[in-house]
Amino acid sequence: MNSLEISYKKPLLETPFHKRTSELCYSNNWYRWAGYKVVNEYSSTELEYTAIRNTAGLFDITPMHKYEIKGEDAKKFINKLITKDITNIQPNQVSYGIWCNEDGMVIDDGTIFCFNENHYRIFCAERNLNWLSDTATGFNVSIEDISTSIAALAFQGPLSCKILNLLKVDNIENLKPFHFDNYDLENHNITISRTGFSGDLGYEIWCDPSEAIDVWDSLFKFNKDYKVLAAGMNALEMVRIEAGFIQPNVDFMSAEQALRPNRMRNPYELGLGWLVSLDKDYFTGKTALTKIRQKSLEKKLVGLDIEGDKPAVGSVLYDGQKKEIGIVTAAMWSPTLKSNIAIGYVNKDFMKIGSTVFAEIYHPEELEYKKIWANCKVVKKQFFNPQRRYNIPADI
Amino acid sequence: MKNFDVIIIGGGHNGLVAASYLAKKNKKVLLIEKNDNIGGLSEYAESLNCISPIIKKELNINIVSTNHTNHIISLEDNQNHTIVEYNNENLSFLKTNADEHNQQNFLSIINKYKLFSKTLGSFMFNQPPRVKSGNRADIMQLISMGWKIRKLGKRNMRELLRVIGLNIADDLEDNLSNDNLIGLLSHEAVLGTNLGPRSPGSILTLLYKQAINNNIFNLKKIEVIDYINQLEDCCNNHSVEIIKSSKVKKILTQNNCVTGIELQNGDIFESYCVMSNADPKTTYLNLLGAEILDTDFIRRVKNFRNKGNVAKLELVFEKEININGIDKKMYGKFIYAPNIKYIEHAFNANKYNKYSEKPCLEFYINKNILSANVYYVPYVANSHHQENEIIKNCKNVLSKFISDMNVIKENLITPNQMEKKYNISGGHWHHGDLEIDQLLMMRPFYGSAQYSTPINGLYLCSAGTHPGGGLTGINGINAAKKVIGDLK
Repeated sequence: MNSLEISYKKPLLETPFHKRTSELCYSNNWYRWAGYKVVNEYSSTELEYTAIRNTAGLFDITPMHKYEIKGEDAKKFINKLITKDITNIQPNQVSYGIWCNEDGMVIDDGTIFCFNENHYRIFCAERNLNWLSDTATGFNVSIEDISTSIAALAFQGPLSCKILNLLKVDNIENLKPFHFDNYDLENHNITISRTGFSGDLGYEIWCDPSEAIDVWDSLFKFNKDYKVLAAGMNALEMVRIEAGFIQPNVDFMSAEQALRPNRMRNPYELGLGWLVSLDKDYFTGKTALTKIRQKSLEKKLVGLDIEGDKPAVGSVLYDGQKKEIGIVTAAMWSPTLKSNIAIGYVNKDFMKIGSTVFAEIYHPEELEYKKIWANCKVVKKQFFNPQRRYNIPADI
Repeated sequence: MKNFDVIIIGGGHNGLVAASYLAKKNKKVLLIEKNDNIGGLSEYAESLNCISPIIKKELNINIVSTNHTNHIISLEDNQNHTIVEYNNENLSFLKTNADEHNQQNFLSIINKYKLFSKTLGSFMFNQPPRVKSGNRADIMQLISMGWKIRKLGKRNMRELLRVIGLNIADDLEDNLSNDNLIGLLSHEAVLGTNLGPRSPGSILTLLYKQAINNNIFNLKKIEVIDYINQLEDCCNNHSVEIIKSSKVKKILTQNNCVTGIELQNGDIFESYCVMSNADPKTTYLNLLGAEILDTDFIRRVKNFRNKGNVAKLELVFEKEININGIDKKMYGKFIYAPNIKYIEHAFNANKYNKYSEKPCLEFYINKNILSANVYYVPYVANSHHQENEIIKNCKNVLSKFISDMNVIKENLITPNQMEKKYNISGGHWHHGDLEIDQLLMMRPFYGSAQYSTPINGLYLCSAGTHPGGGLTGINGINAAKKVIGDLK
């Protein structure tokens, strides 16, 4: 596909699933993602959300950036790129990792699929080819952007495994979390990984664009009994907040894109310190992160359990004396948890779980704002974390 | 396997200076040179105006300067050449078709530049300060830099700040109308840079070079070979161990610290301090290896502008060379850069990585040998120029002034060949452009300035560091001083 010419003529590209997604997109509400249009809301975000949490939801995640890493230094290269040590990664295993710049500030996060010692694939939300290529200097490794050659779906929800099982995807229930394998789905050879952005049992399906429509259709085959719904980006945003997953340029500014140096964030501030192995031989940002580790944190991204039911979208956080101590980056009323949750930054005196802060919520009510002073409790970001996410074999 | 206090990679003149200085301070020094002879690129340096007073003082080197090149001849197609005599810091016209007014303005511009370059010169010899260190010494140095500029007085300070980012053509055209004089000064500004006379910053380059050479016209006052020999003697006297004809394969490190070097033949020498006189790109990307450097840093290494564009041409004539219409006594430094338009046209090709069809020349004549700097002949990655064509173009220019063009031997060394022979990536005289973002505390780039590197125990002393190339030896001395300071 000559994507350059196409994107020049049509401002937004269509994914291989467009035929189906556009039929279903009753609201005609599209979201712009990496030059593609994907559905923001099909008909009702709440309904789509409910499907993900109770049956299964299907997202078109084709615009995700996909980079193929091949060569004898592939593992060394990835170990330089990300902060985590992946020396012991096994074929068919997926690893979640982040990469930082020389100041130890986070650029992006992504999943790394290991095919074998010399072959990996990186999936991430932002464009990173430039960063990857510059990082590859001096390594015997080739980096290719294969974003357009793979169609991708996220199939997430408690019944996702059941439906794949009904579709006779052999042995899918024994696929471990953060693993992937090749499967046969109604005579289509596809790759399925037990990964996702919902914090629940769920899979991501990778296939050839030519098979995209067939794969999409088969997942709806048992809809008479198990109501699978196509879900849009709005619903995805809801489930990812519940799962406590963070997003670049929403919860933190990517260090490659932030203009103001003090807007960049290090892994410890994002609560991702567990992804940094400072005892690893070398990776970009190691020197800086070693220094940062020795100092105490100034601010941290935490979960907030907020009183009341009005989402604290964009709220400023205060201490008891009405002094500003932080900001909310994402907030929602969680229908599953029946609580008012948010992700936000608080400064060093309020980072401990159980601390109390206050949010000033401006809630729009028929062209007027209701101003609410809400008590918030600092909690772990991972609000929603059911056991079925980890079960092996998965629930069918 | 042997242990040394300091290992120096590269026996160019900065390496020799650093080695002598460190050995004088009782350090056990090893110097590795790839070629059979030491001196590096200095063998192509046509002119050396002076030896910097710091080298003279620190290393007791002194060479009597010769007086045989005092004339600068700016050639013109219509044979109305300008001949300028430089005597005891004074300039005078021996021959010119410029009117009285132009002559006066020419001299006053030179005086103006001399004053400014003196101000800049006071920044040249020290290690440049760190801007944000908060260190007392750094702050004092920054204040003193500001004060030196302020001391020029209100009018001159304003004038310096006005012209410092300007292109040389604008300033000259404001004051002069004689093409030949304008071409002459433009030549001095753009030679060895990636600039044309109308490129912003070409005045700064001129002032900078002037500050390094202590003269706006870099003249052949000192035999470079004598200087290099003295430096070698100095090394030998202080028992620096020198290994020639050996190429360093790798700088060895462990946990971000230098542990030694490995030669191509497999020999390993250990030291906690290695000083690289190779250019920054070679040092970081080839000798050290990008694998252990942060990605942002690699980006800066790669973005360091180091494309050389001067070729060296040597022509051996059958008979003694005669320049038409000029008396032999007048011979000196010949320049062919007749006007701004000509130089700009030559520069045009450079922008597209092509050699100039009509090149500018600077040459000296020694009986039947003519050696010239030819520009622009840009470095081309993974390719090469048609060298015969370049020589032909140069001969076309020379034939305007030399009737008997009977050449028996010709030799051209392009930046590509310099890269290969001296291991200078880009084949640049100064290892990297002398432009405002690659000077002082920004040279060669952020994260590697003040002769230090992100790797503990690895230092740079090449022309890629402050204050750049030009056989000053300041890079070597400053880097050596930094090492002595850090070893304490």
